[in-house]
Amino acid sequence: MEVLREKVEEEEEAEREEAAEWAEWARMEKMMRPVEVRKEEITLKQETLRDLEKKLSEIQITVSAELPAFTKDTIDISKLPISYKTNTPKEEHLLQVADNFSRQYSHLCPDRVPLFLHPLNECEVPKFVSTTLRPTLMPYPELYNWDSCAQFVSDFLTMVPLPDPLKPPSHLYSSTTVLKYQKGNCFDFSTLLCSMLIGSGYDAYCVNGYGSLDLCHMDLTREVCPLTVKPKETIKKEEKVLPKKYTIKPPRDLCSRFEQEQEVKKQQEIRAQEKKRLREEEERLMEAEKAKPDALHGLRVHSWVLVLSGKREVPENFFIDPFTGHSYSTQDEHFLGIESLWNHKNYWINMQDCWNCCKDLIFDLGDPVRWEYMLLGTDKSQLSLTEEDDSGINDEDDVENLGKEDEDKSFDMPHSWVEQIEISPEGTNILEIKEWYQNREDMLELKHINKTTDLKTDYFKPGHPQALRVHSYKSMQPEMDRVIEFYETARVDGLMKREETPRTMTEYYQGRPDFLSYRHASFGPRVKKLTLSSAESNPRPIVKITERFFRNPAKPAEEDVAERVFLVAEERIQLRYHCREDHITASKREFLRRTEVDSKGNKIIMTPDMCISFEVEPMEHTKKLLYQYEAMMHLKREEKLSRHQVWESELEVLEILKLREEEEAAHTLTISIYDTKRNEKSKEYREAMERMMHEEHLRQVETQLDYLAPFLAQLPPGEKLTCWQAVRLKDECLSDFKQRLINKANLIQARFEKETQELQKKQQWYQENQVTLTPEDEDLYLSYCSQAMFRIRILEQRLNRHKELAPLKYLALEEKLYKDPRLGELQKIFA
Amino acid sequence: MNQPCNSMEPRVMDDDMLKLAVGDQGPQEEAGQLAKQEGILFKDVLSLQLDFRNILRIDNLWQFENLRKLQLDNNIIEKIEGLENLAHLVWLDLSFNNIETIEGLDTLVNLEDLSLFNNRISKIDSLDALVKLQVLSLGNNRIDNMLNIIYLRRFKCLRTLSLSRNPISEAEDYKMFICAYLPDLMYLDYRRIDDHTKKLAEAKHQYSIDELKHQENLMQAQLEDEQAQREELEKHKTAFVEHLNGSFLFDSMYAEDSEGNNLSYLPGVGELLETYKDKFVIICVNIFEYGLKQQEKRKTELDTFSECVREAIQENQEQGKRKIAKFEEKHLSSLSAIREELELPNIEKMILECSADISELFDALMTLEMQLVEQLEETINMFERNIVDMVGLFIENVQSLMAQCRDLENHHHEKLLEISISTLEKIVEGDLDEDLPNDLRALFVDKDTIVNAVGASHDIHLLKIDNREDELVTRINSWCTRLIDRIHKDEIMRNRKRVKEINQYIDHMQSELDNLECGDILD
Repeated sequence: MEVLREKVEEEEEAEREEAAEWAEWARMEKMMRPVEVRKEEITLKQETLRDLEKKLSEIQITVSAELPAFTKDTIDISKLPISYKTNTPKEEHLLQVADNFSRQYSHLCPDRVPLFLHPLNECEVPKFVSTTLRPTLMPYPELYNWDSCAQFVSDFLTMVPLPDPLKPPSHLYSSTTVLKYQKGNCFDFSTLLCSMLIGSGYDAYCVNGYGSLDLCHMDLTREVCPLTVKPKETIKKEEKVLPKKYTIKPPRDLCSRFEQEQEVKKQQEIRAQEKKRLREEEERLMEAEKAKPDALHGLRVHSWVLVLSGKREVPENFFIDPFTGHSYSTQDEHFLGIESLWNHKNYWINMQDCWNCCKDLIFDLGDPVRWEYMLLGTDKSQLSLTEEDDSGINDEDDVENLGKEDEDKSFDMPHSWVEQIEISPEGTNILEIKEWYQNREDMLELKHINKTTDLKTDYFKPGHPQALRVHSYKSMQPEMDRVIEFYETARVDGLMKREETPRTMTEYYQGRPDFLSYRHASFGPRVKKLTLSSAESNPRPIVKITERFFRNPAKPAEEDVAERVFLVAEERIQLRYHCREDHITASKREFLRRTEVDSKGNKIIMTPDMCISFEVEPMEHTKKLLYQYEAMMHLKREEKLSRHQVWESELEVLEILKLREEEEAAHTLTISIYDTKRNEKSKEYREAMERMMHEEHLRQVETQLDYLAPFLAQLPPGEKLTCWQAVRLKDECLSDFKQRLINKANLIQARFEKETQELQKKQQWYQENQVTLTPEDEDLYLSYCSQAMFRIRILEQRLNRHKELAPLKYLALEEKLYKDPRLGELQKIFA
Repeated sequence: MNQPCNSMEPRVMDDDMLKLAVGDQGPQEEAGQLAKQEGILFKDVLSLQLDFRNILRIDNLWQFENLRKLQLDNNIIEKIEGLENLAHLVWLDLSFNNIETIEGLDTLVNLEDLSLFNNRISKIDSLDALVKLQVLSLGNNRIDNMLNIIYLRRFKCLRTLSLSRNPISEAEDYKMFICAYLPDLMYLDYRRIDDHTKKLAEAKHQYSIDELKHQENLMQAQLEDEQAQREELEKHKTAFVEHLNGSFLFDSMYAEDSEGNNLSYLPGVGELLETYKDKFVIICVNIFEYGLKQQEKRKTELDTFSECVREAIQENQEQGKRKIAKFEEKHLSSLSAIREELELPNIEKMILECSADISELFDALMTLEMQLVEQLEETINMFERNIVDMVGLFIENVQSLMAQCRDLENHHHEKLLEISISTLEKIVEGDLDEDLPNDLRALFVDKDTIVNAVGASHDIHLLKIDNREDELVTRINSWCTRLIDRIHKDEIMRNRKRVKEINQYIDHMQSELDNLECGDILD
């Protein structure tokens, strides 16, 4: 089988690699002392062993307290559906057919064991094995391929040995029950796996046959441990750089070649011995492990799954052992014989001899000599070229083909009595949760929660107000373990990352004009204050600040500080400068600020021992106390600034946390400007635009309004106006317009008068009731008055304006009418 | 400022005055006390203010090598002098003095801000060295010619200019003219020039400015051309074959050879000379091209060598750095352990261990260095051999080519002699058809004279060829020796520097440890 061969190859590969490694070591030994080599070798092995141990220790084996076999009593059958408890007439019919088939078979082959056709289910109802298969396609993409299905079945179910290893079981439970109780024998395993595989489109069959002891007992001791198989290491392509002409020669090797040779010989000897010992050990183990001849060899009943080639691009027939989920070649010697096999449509009996395990079997189920089928209807013929999926058509064909067997065989398999197989992720242990987001205003893209470590990681797209990129944390409380990454280009201070632990804060910067690359602050325990202390009002005391800088090319290296350490508590400042290009040592300087007093009681400003410096190239001016004093003063100021920076960073973290909490609470969404439905702003704008358009349109319509239209409509259409008609038309139009103007003036006048009257009335009423009025009423009155006055004034103005404009409008219309081409006759008259 | 100078008597800039000024303007308070204690060196002073002191002559400033800012305003200085040494000067204030001409600023290449306000200057010049000039204040002077503005066009960084209260600022067109001719200027006479004014000015003076620009461009192009030619020649010179890519050598052979020139008028000699020249030039060009090729080869050889050496040194340095880093890590932890340790015998033991570590580091670093020295020596020797071989081959080939030149010359000489003698015979026989120039005819007196003349010409030619060859050979040889010497010297310097560095470091470590010891014992 493919997989197995690969494994063997891998082993060989590993061996070869090992040999190569040894050769490498031998070569290396020329350079190194042998002791070192051995030590490394041992540690190497130990490491892998430790890894293995760790992996193994993670595997938890739950030993179930119950007895392995779950009996009928433990199964609650009360809730099972009716199809489990009874047989439909069709099923009854099928059982009869099966019995008939079985009788014929036992008659024809009296020396063979009875067929495994219709074991009892959990409700003690006989069910035909094919109907127990319930082809199901799982909704999980992980369970689409055979290997993952097999792995799932093997991992999910607990193996229970058959009650009698020499006989097929008397019961075969439905897959739903098996899944519910998570245990089963090999038949349960293979039934479930077969259902899943058929559901996924594989040409899979349940096999009832004979397996080796190891196979039946799921004994893997003689298999290679999969954890020890190293993944193939990719061979690095070593680019051989051609040595340049003047490349220096390596330092002369002063070791004695003779000694080396001796050493190599000794090593080889030791190795040979080691190998020998190992081999012997291995042989011994092999001997010990070699399976004791099994007394029941070839009689142990086992069930597994056969996958035939053809569907789902399976190139070759193979077996799957449902216990382990491993695939085997059909030639494998663990599989000792096949009694019968079935899928959801039919049942076949193997008529071939299994003297040589399954090696000589030919899985051509369409060959009636090798495989005796039970139902004719779903006859599977590999000899025919066309695929016959549709059993309905075949039925009809088979009805005609009555020559061979009786009509009962043209019977198609009833639908499975088993309920839909469902695997719910319930009860599984959630290790991590990933949530993807979109269109969030806080730019959150992905939230990753690791359930085992309780570590939450938020990933942000560019554009967060605080330029967040990644935020990983365990709690939203400040001063806890936390890593915040930023989009450094979006920040003024070039901060890339800020890591926090309860006692430290580390910041990484990039692209700053002061070349700062790293700042690490460690805090002491908070000094307790009597007042209510919060992180803001009572910052933790800073013990030490370490700052590192990139090389500033504008400065000479011996003046360019690479690292400065402020030991705040000790009042000590350590400086380390960058290393000059052609040097291997870097200047250092240490300032110790201690205010001391000399014998006379004067304050000592600066003494040479307050600044200990090592200079790669001693310079004159740095020896001066003044220089040192100024440098120290500068550093003190810088220290203050750095402390302030650290404090500000702490505040910023608080701010970020607060903001994050607010954002989480609000989770507003961004709306694209192109999303015209939901974007309020653009909606308003668009509506305003539409309104304007509409108004504009109305105005246009008005201007295009034809003032002659109502009058022209009275005349017969399509005729040229006579002079008389034109004059009349004109007069009518004008008088009409005049009337309209007058009407309008009257309307305004009427309103004006009405308002004035009302006001007068109100005033009268006020004067009469002035004494009895409440202040509120008075206020009401006064506001009414002012409004009324305003209205009156406006009306007055409008009236005046109308009076002024009316003659003009009249004249304008008259003018227009004269010029109107339709009233051309008029012009002739007046011309 | 401290002592008001009411008297108009000029004062001398002497040491006392400078010391006083430095002391007054130096650090104050605590730092001042320290400064007083130690004294301030003039060369550490960065800024100096010497105003209102009635100084007549700038003097005694040569010690202020690192001065950045110098204020000499409000004195009675008449001449700019004594500033040659102040090469780092960025700011110079000479306002309110009696200076008449701008001078003595040629070394102040870093000057950015120059104030000559209120002086008696009538012409802007002698500022060529001030390439970084940004601010120039020339207000209240006697500048009366607009053309002075054009001089300022060469200062590409100039942004601020003050020319108010000069005769030219009275001119009607003053502002427009300046804005047009100095388009990069931002501030004129303490005011920002707005874009509108700039545009107006540009439009107004566009024609003349375009012409000026054209001229400037031409000048620039010419300069670039010359530069390119110089570079080309320089390249040829480094290949030691300059002036061989043409008839220079041939022409020079005839330049001082009057007889040869005369003889060329002989019938038939013209054609002969022509073919001779052609052949000669071909050989010269051969030499030239060969020289360039060889130069390229030498260059790549040298480059490979330098690269390899650099890589080797780099690698070695990295190793050293790693060793030191490892050591320091350990050393620091053991030092702090010593500080915390209380038992004296333990302390002594630890200190001993520490010094053992230090000496181990010393050994390791020195071994590394010695190893590098050996490796480099071998490489350098190999390079030396190769380069000497190369040069030898080059010389050999050039010599053989030069020998061809000589052969040509000899051949030519023979032909010429033949023609001359036949001509002489003709003259003697009197059947010469053509007229000969008088100078030439004078040579045909007798056989000796003509033979001598031809011989002299021949000698001159050979001498020229020999000289050229000698020059080439000596120059390349000296280049080779210099190169090898330099490489050796550099390597020695490097080695010494590294050894010194290691020693210094080790000494420092050791003394630190010793100090610790003393401190502990004292405690």
